[in-house]
Amino acid sequence: MEMRRDNFDIAAELRALRPAPTPAFATELDRRAAAGFPPTSSPEDSAWSRLTGRLRAASPRRLALPAGAAALTAVVIATAVIAIGEGGRPTSPPRQVADTGRHDGERSSDHRVHGDETPAAGHAGLKGQAGLAYSFSDASPTAGAAASLSGGAESASGSSSNSGYLLQTAPSVTGAQRHVERGAELVLRSGPGEIAAAAKGVFAAVHAAHGIVLSSSIHDWTGNAGSHAGEARAAFELLIPSARLGDAMASLSAIADVRSRHESTLDITAPTITVSDRLKDSEARIDGLLAQLASAESDGERGAVEAELRGERRQAAALRSRLDRLQSRSNFARVSLRVESGRPTASDSGRWGAGDALDDAGHILATAAGVAVVGLAIIGPPALIALLVWLVNRTWVRRRREQALG
Amino acid sequence: MSQAVAEPTDAPPGVQERSLVFDQLYRESRDDVFAYAAGLLRDRGAAEEVTATAFERAYRKRSRFDPSRGSARAWLFGIVRNAALDELRRRGRQAQMNAEPEDLVDLGTAHPTERSELRLALTGALDTLSGGERELVALKFFAGLANAEIGRVLGTSESNVGTKLHRIVNKLREALDGDA
Repeated sequence: MEMRRDNFDIAAELRALRPAPTPAFATELDRRAAAGFPPTSSPEDSAWSRLTGRLRAASPRRLALPAGAAALTAVVIATAVIAIGEGGRPTSPPRQVADTGRHDGERSSDHRVHGDETPAAGHAGLKGQAGLAYSFSDASPTAGAAASLSGGAESASGSSSNSGYLLQTAPSVTGAQRHVERGAELVLRSGPGEIAAAAKGVFAAVHAAHGIVLSSSIHDWTGNAGSHAGEARAAFELLIPSARLGDAMASLSAIADVRSRHESTLDITAPTITVSDRLKDSEARIDGLLAQLASAESDGERGAVEAELRGERRQAAALRSRLDRLQSRSNFARVSLRVESGRPTASDSGRWGAGDALDDAGHILATAAGVAVVGLAIIGPPALIALLVWLVNRTWVRRRREQALG
Repeated sequence: MSQAVAEPTDAPPGVQERSLVFDQLYRESRDDVFAYAAGLLRDRGAAEEVTATAFERAYRKRSRFDPSRGSARAWLFGIVRNAALDELRRRGRQAQMNAEPEDLVDLGTAHPTERSELRLALTGALDTLSGGERELVALKFFAGLANAEIGRVLGTSESNVGTKLHRIVNKLREALDGDA
């Protein structure tokens, strides 16, 4: 037979060599196909392996829908839990209360309470909360106090800004009374036409607390037309004895709805003690100079001592003045109070209105967005690692398959 | 040739359409799949196992088939190829592939009495091919795939497949000429 063939003949002969399944195998495979290819896995296969097998078989598009639904459900549940945990139905706007209570520590971070909490209750609750991050130990060694009284602590004595002392910069005092400057800001919202009554209540509360009204201003447009029609507002600057600040704030908060409330404390023990000690030193030097003056024998010596005495007395007067100011700051708390009254709204009438709905919706959306971001932060890194592992594994398997061919 | 592939009667219309497609694919490809697996593995038992496994996998994954990414046959043979190569890896068939293969003529349905000298020589010449070349022969001449489908299965271009096939056939012809 002629063995020389062209490519066409070789292709034809190759096709003739095509392997074919045996009838028995073909019949068996057809039977399995008719049955929908039931899994050949043994009954001992775990539910987990069956589940993973199903997941592997499912298309990404099919998985995307339930995965997205599960993620959405998780976000909704987390949002609901957070919203409920914040005090039930979110009512806007949330009040911000920064309260250091009766602690002698530094200014605090804000603590939020919701509008449906009563001011007095909120205040009382804050005072009782041990979880707030104010801790200040009164029992500290005196050696450190003496060392820190000079210099740095003194430099803070004139400051009444919002920046409080750090714990480590405040000198420790044993057996001495702490000097704490307290301050508060309060914003109230009264009903339409109630601004005058609110102002009257403010004066009464200040009087009851033996406080001082430093300034007050009241504007009432309730009877006027114009852009401010129906509005009224009042502003007060008050000095309240520090010991009565809590009672005074409770009284003031009861006058109208509290919109915001901030309280702060500033430990001025260190500058007070420093100035006090320097004053004592100065007075001792004055006594010494007076003794020198009494024993002076010449006019020249007497004149020199008198000059030194005048200087020391000026120094003592300045220190006494500073000490008075510090004690005044310690004895009286400055309270800034605003009372606002706007046009009547559904919220003012106690009903839940469209504005509240919008605020609540914004609050819920913000919470949901926060939950989603936190969720992404948690899920993101493991998902990225899983993706990388999957890609590496896929590449490795492909290479091994190609290697299997040789 | 084969019975229809079962599908639950309450399946959604989309699934039923897919079932018809899969049924047709199964009927058209059953013997081709076996031929390719047998040509690649050169082991009837392994080919049957791979064929059954591949169809089962394809049936489970039928919802993942995307017509925009190629023909159903190309998709099916991609699954078969993976199953076959996995089988080679599992059983360490690499050595066996290069060792003593089953006679392709025996594997086929060709009438033994019609064995020609040429076919025997061709069977011997096939042994000189590499694994990748034998796979191309199996896909083209045993499974009957078009060059474009082979390219899709192997992840290469249609023209590259054509070039390689031409070289393989030339190589076989030269081997036959050398024997003659």
